[in-house]
Amino acid sequence: MERFLPRFDPRKTGLAVLAPVVALVVAAALSSVVLVIAGHSPALAFQRMWEYGTEPAQVVNILNKASGYFLSALAVAIGFRMNLFNIGVDGQYRIAAMAAAVVGATLTLPKPLHILVIVAVAVVVGALWAGIAGLLKVYRGVSEVISTIMLNFIGGAIVAWAVTPQVFAVLENNVVRTKTIPESGWFPGFTWSGIPAGGSQTVVFGEIYGFIVISGLVGVLYWFVLSRTRFGFDLRATGSSEPAAVASGVDVKRMVLTSMLLSGAVAGLVGMPILLGAAHSFGSQDFPSGIGFTGIAIALLGRNNPVGIAFASILWGFLDVSNQILDIESIPKEIVTIMQGAVVLAVVVAYEIVRRIGVATEQRRVMSTENAAPPAVPPATATADTGGER
Amino acid sequence: MRRVTKLAAVVATAALALAACGSTSSAGGGTTTESGSPAATTSSAAALKVGLAYDIGGRGDKSFNDAAAAGLDKAKAELGVEIKELSATQGETDADKEARLTLLAQAGYNPVIAVGFLYGTALKNVSAKFPNTQFGIIDSTVDGATNVTGLVFAENEGSFLVGAAAALKSKSGNVGYIGGCLIPLLQKFEAGFTAGAKAVKPDIKVQVKYLSNPPDCKGFNDPAAGTETANGMYDAGADIIFAAAGGSGTGVFQSAKAKKALAIGVDSDQYQTAAADLQPVIMTSMLKRVDVAVFDFIKSFKDGAPLTGVQVFDLKKDGVGYSTSGGQVDDIATKLDEYKAKIVSGEIKVPAEPAK
Amino acid sequence: MSEHPERSTTAAGPATTVPAVELNGITKRFPGVVANSDVTLKVARGTVHAIVGENGAGKSTLMKILYGMQRPDEGTIEVDGSPVTFHTPADAIKAGIGMVHQHFKLADNLTVLENVVLGSEPRRGWRLDIEGARKKIVEISDRYGLDVDPDPLVEDLGVGERQRVEILKVLYRGARTLILDEPTAVLVPQEVDELFDALQELKAEGLTVIFISHKLDEVLKVADEITVIRRGTTVRTVLPSEVTPRKLAELMVGSELPSPQTSESTVTDRAVLEVKGLTVRDREGRPVVDDVTLTIHAGEVLGIAGVEGNGQAELVEAIMGIRPAEGSVVLEGRDLAGVPTRERRTAGVAFVPEDRIRQGLLLESPLWENRMLGHQTSPPNARGPLVNRRGARADTERIVRDYDVRTPSIDVTASALSGGNQQKLIVGREMSGNPRLLLAAHPTRGVDVGAQAAIWDHLRRARAEGLAVLLISADLDELIGLSDSLKVILRGRLVADADPATVTPEDLGSAMTGAAATGGKPGTADDTDGATDAEGSDV
Repeated sequence: MERFLPRFDPRKTGLAVLAPVVALVVAAALSSVVLVIAGHSPALAFQRMWEYGTEPAQVVNILNKASGYFLSALAVAIGFRMNLFNIGVDGQYRIAAMAAAVVGATLTLPKPLHILVIVAVAVVVGALWAGIAGLLKVYRGVSEVISTIMLNFIGGAIVAWAVTPQVFAVLENNVVRTKTIPESGWFPGFTWSGIPAGGSQTVVFGEIYGFIVISGLVGVLYWFVLSRTRFGFDLRATGSSEPAAVASGVDVKRMVLTSMLLSGAVAGLVGMPILLGAAHSFGSQDFPSGIGFTGIAIALLGRNNPVGIAFASILWGFLDVSNQILDIESIPKEIVTIMQGAVVLAVVVAYEIVRRIGVATEQRRVMSTENAAPPAVPPATATADTGGER
Repeated sequence: MRRVTKLAAVVATAALALAACGSTSSAGGGTTTESGSPAATTSSAAALKVGLAYDIGGRGDKSFNDAAAAGLDKAKAELGVEIKELSATQGETDADKEARLTLLAQAGYNPVIAVGFLYGTALKNVSAKFPNTQFGIIDSTVDGATNVTGLVFAENEGSFLVGAAAALKSKSGNVGYIGGCLIPLLQKFEAGFTAGAKAVKPDIKVQVKYLSNPPDCKGFNDPAAGTETANGMYDAGADIIFAAAGGSGTGVFQSAKAKKALAIGVDSDQYQTAAADLQPVIMTSMLKRVDVAVFDFIKSFKDGAPLTGVQVFDLKKDGVGYSTSGGQVDDIATKLDEYKAKIVSGEIKVPAEPAK
Repeated sequence: MSEHPERSTTAAGPATTVPAVELNGITKRFPGVVANSDVTLKVARGTVHAIVGENGAGKSTLMKILYGMQRPDEGTIEVDGSPVTFHTPADAIKAGIGMVHQHFKLADNLTVLENVVLGSEPRRGWRLDIEGARKKIVEISDRYGLDVDPDPLVEDLGVGERQRVEILKVLYRGARTLILDEPTAVLVPQEVDELFDALQELKAEGLTVIFISHKLDEVLKVADEITVIRRGTTVRTVLPSEVTPRKLAELMVGSELPSPQTSESTVTDRAVLEVKGLTVRDREGRPVVDDVTLTIHAGEVLGIAGVEGNGQAELVEAIMGIRPAEGSVVLEGRDLAGVPTRERRTAGVAFVPEDRIRQGLLLESPLWENRMLGHQTSPPNARGPLVNRRGARADTERIVRDYDVRTPSIDVTASALSGGNQQKLIVGREMSGNPRLLLAAHPTRGVDVGAQAAIWDHLRRARAEGLAVLLISADLDELIGLSDSLKVILRGRLVADADPATVTPEDLGSAMTGAAATGGKPGTADDTDGATDAEGSDV
């Protein structure tokens, strides 16, 4: 834990964990109210969701979803950390996945190399697509919010055009898809099998995408680059105060471009778990869309912290998967959408409150030091305090 | 968006119900049967349990899903089957679709109907896991699965007839086609419509526009875009537009009314469901009887002779066709019937893909 | 005006028995800022009552309480003998208390008249009574000698005129007691004299003025009574005749005063910085720094005197490479043309920015990360492309110790520190890593006296070791005391040189306003011991 929370401080960590927990409770309470008004039992709803969502087969589905959500949220978080709003992760991952699928299907290479090439194509395409927005911002002052949204539309149109039988796709049963990537380009997954509750025979619950490991590694890399490298320091400095960063010698234009490229590169990976683990081809209609926007919510929920984002991704996946059971109980499953919205809203509020509490306590501590310590003597508490922390 | 409205409706109706007498109701929620009992895996002869999984949009989309719902409702009313409907979410994966179909199959629903070709991949996997459940899928087929019935339509044939009707009725020699989303299924409509129009008037001009691109096929439910696009087409000389755009069709009809032109509806007989002031502009509708397919499929179980394999609902089976409400095409009915006969006999082969 | 310094004392002595304003036991708790505790203040009607104190001593908070912008946690306010509670400034205005803010709150694109009536528009029936308002404005202007014309646009007015418009605006609303928050901070000396004349008029008409300042010479000149505030509480109320500026300053800081005087010269003949023909333009292409040429040698402190906003900030930023500029900047023989900021930093240029919140700190980051800021590429903060957390933290501890940054830990965020402690951290940081050239803008601004002395010591020591310093300060005593040579900047041009050994703050002040050519005004006599302005202005 401490490795991921560089400034480990029980009080701070406590507050940081408290915020999302409070937000979850608030969101659950809000959803309960709506459920009660609609004449349903919240207890039954949550109980069924929990039961269903913890079934092994659904756990597999949740983890698989989370592996993509996690990457998407990381891509968004890279931007967030320097005050860039990359709203275009959605377009970036789709165009990247499409390109990767097309290239992957045309190549025949030995296994690891084939996967590597596909992933490389996705990373490069994602980075380039985001890089357009970066260039526009740096050289033309176009807000990245506007340009990335526009690029989503353009990317969508390009994907729609490319995934037609006339261009890269094949038509089968009314569905158009790119050609299937040969098996050498499939990322091996982890098959989970066991004896289900109440059963006697061993069954296969499902296959967890092998790419989830890569997702995790990207998370570690994200943490390392941001908190342990000079580049990460520059990035965070730019995010928290651009004039201060400029004065410190950060080339903000280059930072903008670099971080957009990085964000886009990670965004390019978003589609990889499902492309390499299950779909093996890109269909303009049946390749999941909207993960880029989900990533924004998850990055907010996870506070741009990789551990937080991981938890938030799993939570999101859980809600996405377990809501299906509500339908069968004749409870409107849209309640989960309300809950997802409420949790993001609540968490933003909760974090702000926690932040203010944190600042206030800190200022109180500082004030007591300022007033207590005689001017000439260095504050002894300070050294003792921090010495113990390392 | 609509999902939110729907929930709001749930909240509103429920609140009203509570206020009135304290009884609870999930009216408007779509799933109107008694709370699902997940047990009862034996498909006893007593009540046929039919599960249905909608495409995105679900019940209430005034289009494709509603057509399926109509067939289901009819089956419930006439055949006394027990039903369970589940809806899809925007941006979901095949895994989610699999989970949905699995839920229905596990709960003992048999047959299970998947509405929309997007269920194809998921159904392939699920049908293998539940060999004793019979599945149906609209607009698609699953190769090699004996327990999956493909329920597909010859939309191009129906579209051919309305295309011919448009050409026969057009005074300007200029007609339009508006598709909800640029997907192959809709291109099938386009191909048929164009072929039909050209069969009547080889030099006719056919304007073609799609309202949206996949995956975000919001053009099926964007009346404003429908109006705007139709306005453009009418201004460019078209006097009849075929609106193969689901809920956006209303926008096209409104444009037709404003421009004093005509339009052609799709899927169901839209003359019947349109507002009274819009009825005069609906010349005819291209019928795609999803409701018939759903009903027939369920009925075949009731009758003990389940439909299997690939069931093509074409002109011959009256699975597609054109509507005559309003009487605007009565004068050309004989001509249209001639074309129909030629298609049924195979004399005319209607293309399924637009000419390049 | 300056020839009548005694005038201020003639009217002194509370004439009436009931004070115009009386504060008792006012306490305001506030995280992070020096709050007020047990403030007691009695202001007699018809007097100018000055409130003096260091920056952050709690003057502004007190005035905000009196003007209804903040509510005290404890204590009472009485106006003309009756207790009042202010919830908003509107309540204060109703009670006859008006405030002239340090930063004017006027709409530039409206006329004086429109600005004055804005928010309390005169009506006759449904119509705006412009004529009535004009008459009233002219009347007030004449009565108090404010010399305000109601018709020009505010954007065409000078600073002094704008201030008089603010005063008139307050009087227009019927204020009997005026609070002036640091009114002279933005004025040149001539305007200050005019303001003081106006204050005498107001006083003569029976109005009460509460005058907030930390410029002791001015206070002694204009006030009838002076209340000193220190660390949030009122220390003493004195008559100007009882105190010297030095005494007053000591009351303010609560201890003996340090002096910025440097010992002997350490200037060498080795040029560290050579600037030639440096011109910086604003967006419209007008030069804000105009053809500046200067040389700083190793061991030399070059002071730049000037009223703020005359191109100092831009000059420094151009040398830092933050702002594009024409002309040449040569550092130890290396032409810095096209060299990015980071490389200039690693070449040994250190930078204490004028606006520390904006340019000097990452407020949301811990102190040790702030220590890295601007030095993130060099030891002890970096090891190759990686951050050296251990090194940075250890060195932050050192700065905290050496520069007496009062903090419980180096893990608190910079925003939690008071301004003075933030400044100490910045100076400590910039003095680290053996810089060749230090660009220091107001290095001791907002810093308490003890730390000020420490910072001066650090500067002197570094200078003795060969550091070249470009010093920009609003504190003329600091400038004169620390600098080896002085230049005056006016509208972006270096207009005069001065010898710090002989120049007086008054001479320098005249030169800064461009009045030097006409001989300027003689100094106001009793204030040349170089210590009164212990803090620098906080414009």
